[in-house]
Amino acid sequence: MNEVKNEKIKRQETIKLPYMLDFYPLEDEKNTRISSFFENLKQGRLTTTKCKKCGKLLWPPRIVCPSCLSNELEWVDLGSEGELYAFTEMKLGAPLGFVQDLPFCIGIVKIGGLYLSARIDDATYGDLKIAMKVRLKIIKLDDGRVFYRFMPSS
Amino acid sequence: MRKVAIVGGGATRAGKREATWRDLVQEAGKQMFESVANLSPKDVDALVVGAAQPERFVFQAHVAPMVAECLGIVPKKVIARTELMCASGQVAIRYAWACIASGMVDLAVAFGVEKMFMPDMAEAQTNMTCVLDREWDGINGLSAPPFFAMTAQRHMLEYGTTKEQMARVSVKNHHYSSMNPLAQFQKEITVEDVFKSPVVAPPLNLFDCSGITDGAAGIVLVPAEDAEKYTDTPMYIIGGGQANVGNAINNLASLTEWVPLKMAVDETLKTAKITLDDVDIAELHDCFTISEIMEYEAFGWCKKGEGGKFVEDGEPYIGGKVAVNPRGGLLGCGHPLGATAILQAIDIFQQFRGEVPKGRLVDGAEIAVAHNLSGPANVHSIVAYSRSLR
Repeated sequence: MNEVKNEKIKRQETIKLPYMLDFYPLEDEKNTRISSFFENLKQGRLTTTKCKKCGKLLWPPRIVCPSCLSNELEWVDLGSEGELYAFTEMKLGAPLGFVQDLPFCIGIVKIGGLYLSARIDDATYGDLKIAMKVRLKIIKLDDGRVFYRFMPSS
Repeated sequence: MRKVAIVGGGATRAGKREATWRDLVQEAGKQMFESVANLSPKDVDALVVGAAQPERFVFQAHVAPMVAECLGIVPKKVIARTELMCASGQVAIRYAWACIASGMVDLAVAFGVEKMFMPDMAEAQTNMTCVLDREWDGINGLSAPPFFAMTAQRHMLEYGTTKEQMARVSVKNHHYSSMNPLAQFQKEITVEDVFKSPVVAPPLNLFDCSGITDGAAGIVLVPAEDAEKYTDTPMYIIGGGQANVGNAINNLASLTEWVPLKMAVDETLKTAKITLDDVDIAELHDCFTISEIMEYEAFGWCKKGEGGKFVEDGEPYIGGKVAVNPRGGLLGCGHPLGATAILQAIDIFQQFRGEVPKGRLVDGAEIAVAHNLSGPANVHSIVAYSRSLR
């Protein structure tokens, strides 16, 4: 009887975190038509698009207005201070990439007429109160990509 | 439009199963076919498979043909997979219903399956974080528990709802799931147990949240006039409704008032030609305790803001105003995403036939509604079922 060959092979144990698993979008003009949002953010400005035709403020930033289908949109500033509408603290069940941040606070912030979900940094759950003022904070990844968060104003 | 009947169904036990995705499919498929006399897999014209995230949970796309192959089905008219996250299974039912009602198909299977337990649960949590708008909301770690935690926080602030009232939803649903052999959790719990369970995202504790669950289920649909070929006691689909408002957090109608649910309820009552008082059983999507409280309100069983009091007063128990989740709900039975709506339908089918244990039997029930929400509660889907042809 022929002996059946056994061979060990290696499972690749480490891989570079795939772009579609790190939650952060591809931000430059080669990859998105709203790269201005991220360029503005790098300058410390939180902005979104507003329809020049019907006047609707659009979030997330768009390239076509869902209300009137116009593609004549302009970038407008939302300001840098908002108000905490709701908040919680993630204590269990974070996704890969955020596990090391546990526990962390998440909120919904009223700013510039919009309701944005956001991480609330530099505060514990006990520090937060509904309607408290929060201000814009910008985080930067090693590869230069940026995103917004908020932190208590005082 | 032809009237449509459900003539049988079968399911796996839900829970943390020592089984693969395709094991679950085969287990449920066998149960389903064996529940219907005079039916062979070869008779199935249409197969619609509700599956929320097989690409992420088991790294498999194009899953409807896998179910067909596992079950010996050779679909000749329709084969499709439906995805609407937590409502994926209900969409499978709706499409199978539409296929038969239109006259395009004479025998359809609506199937649902999800394998959610993974060796590394952070990987499973990652999957659940691309349900909301990933680039603007998921990016903030906003998966379902923190979203519903903030919903609960606002509801408590605006209407005085308490943690104890929320816990009572979980106590009720575990009471009924303790009598359900298919349920993930078959033990009664107390309000104290909910408070002592780990905090997931305040004000939600673990027992305020439905579980991560493996499970599969399928039902068989035929035109009403063919139902007697298969059973003397079919169940009929008599109407339904579905509505969606917005998707990103900024574009939701409201955090504390589920406008699309009210739209779906109105459409359901209109198409089914029933009033709320006709509903004997309501299988509501209690993914979190606060969800069920807000659903009592949006359906209209109580006034806006009084959902907490409604459960405190025992109204959603059997014998109260309406029996809500006598199956045990998602809180008690688990929530295998694609399979959940199919499991709701099977339990209502068994309720109408008097086949469930006495302690959770809604005696003489004639009309039921089954509801699923999905995403940040921006989509609500409802099907109405009846014991008799109406």
